[in-house]
Amino acid sequence: MQSLDQLFENSARSLAKRTSRRSVLGAVGRLLTASVALPLLPFDRSSRALAADVPATQAKDDPKSCDYWKYCAIDGFLCSCCGGSSHSCPPGTTPSPITWIGTCHNPNDGRNYIVSYNDCCGKTSCGDCTCNRNEREKPLYRASRNNDLNWCMANSDVNYHCSVSVILGVAG
Amino acid sequence: MTTRVCNRLLFALTLVVGALSRAVCYGAATQRPPLPVEQLTVEQLGPQSPHWAYVVDEAFLNEIDSRVYLFDADSYQRLGQIGAGFYPGVTLSPDGRTTAVATTYFSRGSRGARTDVVEFTDNKTLGVTGEIVLPPKRALTLPTLFNLAYSADSRYLFVAYITPAASFGVLDPVGKKVLGEVDTAGCVLVIPSGPNHVSSICESGRLLTVSVDSRGKETSRSLSATFFDPDTDPIFVQGIPTDNGYAFLSFLGQIHEIDFSGPQPMVQPPWMIVTAAERGRWRPGGVQVAALHRKLRRWYIPMHEGGEGSHKAGGTQIWVFDARTHERLARWPVPAKQQGSVLALQVSQDDHPLVFAATEQSNMLVLDAMTGELRHVESHLGQTPWLVLTAEGAKGRTVMKSGTRP
Repeated sequence: MQSLDQLFENSARSLAKRTSRRSVLGAVGRLLTASVALPLLPFDRSSRALAADVPATQAKDDPKSCDYWKYCAIDGFLCSCCGGSSHSCPPGTTPSPITWIGTCHNPNDGRNYIVSYNDCCGKTSCGDCTCNRNEREKPLYRASRNNDLNWCMANSDVNYHCSVSVILGVAG
Repeated sequence: MTTRVCNRLLFALTLVVGALSRAVCYGAATQRPPLPVEQLTVEQLGPQSPHWAYVVDEAFLNEIDSRVYLFDADSYQRLGQIGAGFYPGVTLSPDGRTTAVATTYFSRGSRGARTDVVEFTDNKTLGVTGEIVLPPKRALTLPTLFNLAYSADSRYLFVAYITPAASFGVLDPVGKKVLGEVDTAGCVLVIPSGPNHVSSICESGRLLTVSVDSRGKETSRSLSATFFDPDTDPIFVQGIPTDNGYAFLSFLGQIHEIDFSGPQPMVQPPWMIVTAAERGRWRPGGVQVAALHRKLRRWYIPMHEGGEGSHKAGGTQIWVFDARTHERLARWPVPAKQQGSVLALQVSQDDHPLVFAATEQSNMLVLDAMTGELRHVESHLGQTPWLVLTAEGAKGRTVMKSGTRP
């Protein structure tokens, strides 16, 4: 097993030398297309997103709710509360070139959808509609499944503002 | 006398007594000496106490303004503050005299050119005494013990880079310069051991250990045995200092102790903190997920009831274990509804230990580490206090004295 690890790591180093960061990230994103839902940051950042007086079924259809079905892997601030929507960044921000892919179940039509999670960058924290969903989230050593990282890290301005979830298609 | 006359006399008497009282009081006030002239001064810190907590506030709602609060758990006072910028990595030097903060600034406050830097603060004055400018590669992630870490002898400082390519920087904290950078092939963070060894956690469930020379260049590397499965039971990256290394807690409640006292990390057999009936139902969680009092040999672990995906939920109880027998000694309830569940936990290392428990409501609970008695609640200690450090805790990290300096 050690030799396998070394082989992998040597390959990874070689790949890193030959490949740009963005192309690696794009490849990682494509590889993840078939994977299941991804998540984001820690702690209870649910604020108004999990308002107790909102029925669960209604919350699952509200893009400003942390329970919105498409946010099964989102974390941070919901862009829909910050001047954007569930799939658009607020004015003046820049989408992160790094994206990671998950699958969310839409209870309304019974389908699983492949979604892309992007951060919107270039302004400081939105600070509203904090949301933390961690199903199948993994620690930092599995970066492609980790939401503790600031995924604006590859932007020219690494300030994290908010997060979106963009439907890419129906899974399977 | 008629009743009417009596009432008038009584009213007049009341007026007279009132007037006399006012005269007496006013006279006393005018005779009191004036307050002395004040001198504007700057407070000086006293001797460092094991009950001082360095509380890292990530300031999630405005992340460019993270800070470290110095909180005294005896007087329940904030003693001072250290600026920490954007997504900081924070560590204390092994002698406790310095706080090092790896952070990022923007030239125009919230925007502009990015500068990554390590800043050194004198823990006696809380003044910044120096810095090392880094390449713009710092890992922008939650605070852990391993974003930035000193070697045991303080000769080197190691800083984790993620761009997202993973590597680490080797710094000279005395000469205030960057010595080199080492590619870690996807393994992350900097776990120091001995004078010149750095381990990183790999997705394969192993540790990659790299030795560096005095120029900050890699001299050797090796992989440990596989000791966890990232698919079925990942470990938290928040390591807990032990007598001879670090321990890592898994999502389902296994403790993996790693002996770093030799040239290579030695993985010890894991043990469980939950019974078979509790497994998968009671879990550790949060950000700083456990602490160990090394002399008492007691573990303190925030626990919650939850399922898959709840690994960042705070503890509603603190479970206490004997580190030798692995016996559970206590389950202390946390007033989670009133104060929030516990996201970050630390224990002082002295003979009268205190548990520091920072909650999701940004409160700091101070408990007697022997009895679990809640001694104090410091309300709203910052915004998002996610890591608690102590100077004694830093001293305890000086594992692995053996080894040859390059």
